[in-house]
Amino acid sequence: MTLDPAYRAPAAAPAATPAATGSGDLGAPLYVAWQVTNECNLACLHCIEESGPGKAFGDELSGEQIFNILEQIMDLEVPYLSFSGGEPMLHPRFFEMAEYACRRKAQLKIETNGHFLSTENCERLAKLGVKAVQVSLDGASRETFNRMRVRGDFDRAIEGVRRLRAAGVPIEINYSPTRFNVHEIGAAVDLAYELGAYSFYTGRTMYTGNAVKTWHKLAPSEEQYTTFFDVLHVKTEEYRGRMRVHFHQMGLLEELRYRLRHPAALLIILPNGLVKLINALPFVCGDLRRQSLDGIWANFQHAWNDPRVGRFVEQLAADPNKTALLHQWIHL
Amino acid sequence: MKLAKYTKFREEKFGGVLFETRSEKVYTLNPTAAAVVREIGCDCSEREIVERLRDGFHDSGDAIALDVKAFLADLRQKGLVED
Repeated sequence: MTLDPAYRAPAAAPAATPAATGSGDLGAPLYVAWQVTNECNLACLHCIEESGPGKAFGDELSGEQIFNILEQIMDLEVPYLSFSGGEPMLHPRFFEMAEYACRRKAQLKIETNGHFLSTENCERLAKLGVKAVQVSLDGASRETFNRMRVRGDFDRAIEGVRRLRAAGVPIEINYSPTRFNVHEIGAAVDLAYELGAYSFYTGRTMYTGNAVKTWHKLAPSEEQYTTFFDVLHVKTEEYRGRMRVHFHQMGLLEELRYRLRHPAALLIILPNGLVKLINALPFVCGDLRRQSLDGIWANFQHAWNDPRVGRFVEQLAADPNKTALLHQWIHL
Repeated sequence: MKLAKYTKFREEKFGGVLFETRSEKVYTLNPTAAAVVREIGCDCSEREIVERLRDGFHDSGDAIALDVKAFLADLRQKGLVED
């Protein structure tokens, strides 16, 4: 064992989330969130990625490129990886990717709309040992879910979650609030627990992607949000020790100002290999088709300090509608 | 003793990080703590970990044993390791 010659008592600093862990001193990201395709079977009113049927990018990564990137992620010992989309389970190489990541001991989370969770697929995910499958359930009833998730089917998603539970796959539930489902938040948390979830996630719905076109139907009022978060505080206590109720009460601007000072130890890979600083900003800090992950990470902190990033965040304070431009990428 | 199912460890220039991916909590480790966790990853017992640290630091006193014991108890209490 090689040790620092000056003995110091072993110590672990108090816990922080990956998002709150400063990226500056780390040799690699702690978390890679990979949007593996923009294709989706649903056309959700609030989708921040503008995903939907026929919405795959024309330049999505090839199989060879995907496995090259996966290999880099594993070689850098990134401990936590998620596959999202679009609908990641629609990607033709989805299970091969999951198998590779799990074989290399990554903790893998799948973020899905729950419409492809057949018994066979759930058993396959269980066998792989994925860390969790996160299913989006934006409502505790068929009426609200189906209104929000255009082409979606509440019963099919619920059945999918039940199959995950039967197969023994750890379950997380994600919920996006809107003015027409926000009143169901308490029932949605209860439903998540009944379905066997160990975590429930929610926060403010963002004004970007499809939500820009549907905002007049979607945006909860501040009064609704107040009640929403009050219920969540109560539910957090009610389920403490049984299911983690996790929510971001912070507004987008507040969060981005925090990120400017403390960039998250997180990289976001788009379906075409571009790497974004953070979902809520349009800035791209690398291209995995041309650069190594290692090289992009080395530039990540520097990219956050680019004056255009800070300017954009402050412009958001004056004009919150600038989030509508998040898909007009700006290369740093 | 071994790292718990959802705990991942990575060495860093400053020591290391422990990431409990289920609760999504990250702990940064100083070099000594990282050395202890590295040994846990090698399936070492508490006694073996203490011996190796003593060898590494050329120390025969009790301080290292007490520190390691307290540190491992903390890791157990946080659910980061299991026996």
